[in-house]
Parts: sequence; C-alpha cells; structure tokens
Amino acid sequence: MSWLKVELDEGRTSFRPGEVVRGTASWSLDGPPAAVEVRLIWFTQGKGDRDVGLVESVPAAAPGIQGGLSFAFTLPDGPYSFSGTLVSLLWAVEAVALPASDAALTELVVSPSGREILLPRETPDAGAR
Amino acid sequence: MRARDNPFAVHRIHALRFRLTEDGWRELLARLDALDLRAAIVGPEGAGKTLLLEELGARLGTLGRAPRLLTLRRGDRRPAPEARAALLAGLGGGDVVLVDGADELGSLAWSSLRRATRAAGGLVVTSHRPGLLPTLWTCGTSVELLADLVRELVGSAEAEVLRPHLAALFDRHRGDLRAALRALYDLYGASPATAGPPPGA
Repeated sequence: MSWLKVELDEGRTSFRPGEVVRGTASWSLDGPPAAVEVRLIWFTQGKGDRDVGLVESVPAAAPGIQGGLSFAFTLPDGPYSFSGTLVSLLWAVEAVALPASDAALTELVVSPSGREILLPRETPDAGAR
Repeated sequence: MRARDNPFAVHRIHALRFRLTEDGWRELLARLDALDLRAAIVGPEGAGKTLLLEELGARLGTLGRAPRLLTLRRGDRRPAPEARAALLAGLGGGDVVLVDGADELGSLAWSSLRRATRAAGGLVVTSHRPGLLPTLWTCGTSVELLADLVRELVGSAEAEVLRPHLAALFDRHRGDLRAALRALYDLYGASPATAGPPPGA
C-alpha cells in the first residue's frame, strides 16, 4: 500500500505572507517513482471550477520507493486564505509521486492575521441604496 | 457556510463515481469489444456521459490501452488545430481515442476525425443523440439517482431533509443532474439544517 505524508515543522499551519513554511515530506510507494515533487500551492473550492496556483516546487533527487525530503518555502504576498459562500481559497503543501499521481496534501492558512478571512454573506439588499 | 464546507462544491461533485457495478463494467467492456472498440455513450445533458467516458478511459488504461481524450465544448464545430494534432500524433493500435461531445462537431469535421482515427485501436465518443457510432451505453437519470448522489454527498440524515426538494429540482432542470446538484449548492449554503420548506409546502 502506497502512502505519502507531508508534515509541517511543529505542526504549525497558520502563517503570514513572507514567512517560511518548513517541513518534511516522506513516502513509501508500491513501485519506483519517476519523480517525487513537493509543491507549495493555492487552490479554490466552491461552486465554480477549481483554480490552482503553483508557487514553488522542489523535486526529490533520485527518489526511491521509500524516502523523505525537507522543504522550506517562502510564502508570497498573496493571495490570502479566505472563504465566502461561493468560493474558498486554500493554501497547501502537497507531495506528488509520478507517474501514478499518488499524492498527499497538508493545508495551511496564509493571511496577515494568520487566520482564514471570512467574507461577509451577501444579502439581497446589500448596496441597493 | 464556507464554500469549502459546502458538500455540493464542484470538487466534491467531481469526486462522485459513475453508478455501475463490477458486473455492469464487465458487461460494458464486453460490449465495447464486440463493437470493435468503436462506439458511443449517449444521453442528455447532465446524465453522466463525461464521467462514464473518463472512467472508461481509466479502465482501458488498466487493460493496457492508451486513452487519448479530446474534449469539445458547446459550439466547437471542429477541434482546435493544436488539440487535433496532439490527439493524432503517432496514433497506433494501442491507443483508444475518446471524444467528449462529438455531436458538437460539424459533419465534415466528424467525418475527418473518424477517418483520421482509423489507425487507433478504438474510438469512443459521447453524444446527446445516437447515430454517430453504435451505441455502447445510454445514460439516463432519475429522481432516485439524484437522491442516491445527494445521500453520498451529505449522508443519510441530511439527505432525508433535502429529499422533499429533489423531485422539483429534477423537473426544473429537466433531469440534468449536474444542474440540479449546482442548485443544491445554493440551497444547502442558504441553510444546511433545513434547506427551507420544499416547493409548494
């Protein structure tokens, strides 16, 4: 049974723009991978199609069936983690083994406060003045 | 409710699988073989044709075939030149060409694509109407199927709360399950606990 895992240092999942996300990816696969990558990404979830942004990617050198890789990603200025009723934007570090596309993902929050920004719910008469 | 927590968010709907038992898959693959791997998946909008085509492609992949997918959008009378070139490059007997939305193509473009894919081991298309190729599978929908999908997305208890809405949603969207599930996103997001009274209550 294949598995991959992404662990952030000290279990920290809240960050501010410009901070460094450090951690370790580890894996044990059924067969030798062509490549293993650890990626810093953001993506959307909600009513519409998913948007994804790849911020930085680190390949493992000569990955084997089992292995580990430390990473340190510097977070950009944005976008911030937020949620409204129609769309949420999430950040994550994911580890992907190719070509099977086995993957593991650990979510994090990026914002000036270190907390997800919650957008106010739109009301039908909002701005109808 | 946060969009990420809405059980009808697109990523959760995309994670749903086509409702077909292993016996059903065996039957479908046997029929595809009997049709010399040239066949059509037919059905109305939102009935799961694309999903079935994608899952069929994955199954063919595990059987040693190499699926090549071309997706056509509404109004695509011909494939984009780059997409067509990529689809046909080095096409051989191990490849199975999958065309989603083949009935969007104009008759000349369809004939041309059909000729150009003769070298492939197979050609499977989706279409709203039968006739492009022998029909492999006809996708249909029902309120019961919608209820089953809702149950998978929200669990049995909340599915019961939503149940009174489903027949009206199914009718309003003329059996298009994709559209009905999209409408449920708004309904659930408005009030997940009760989703309001059912229409006509």
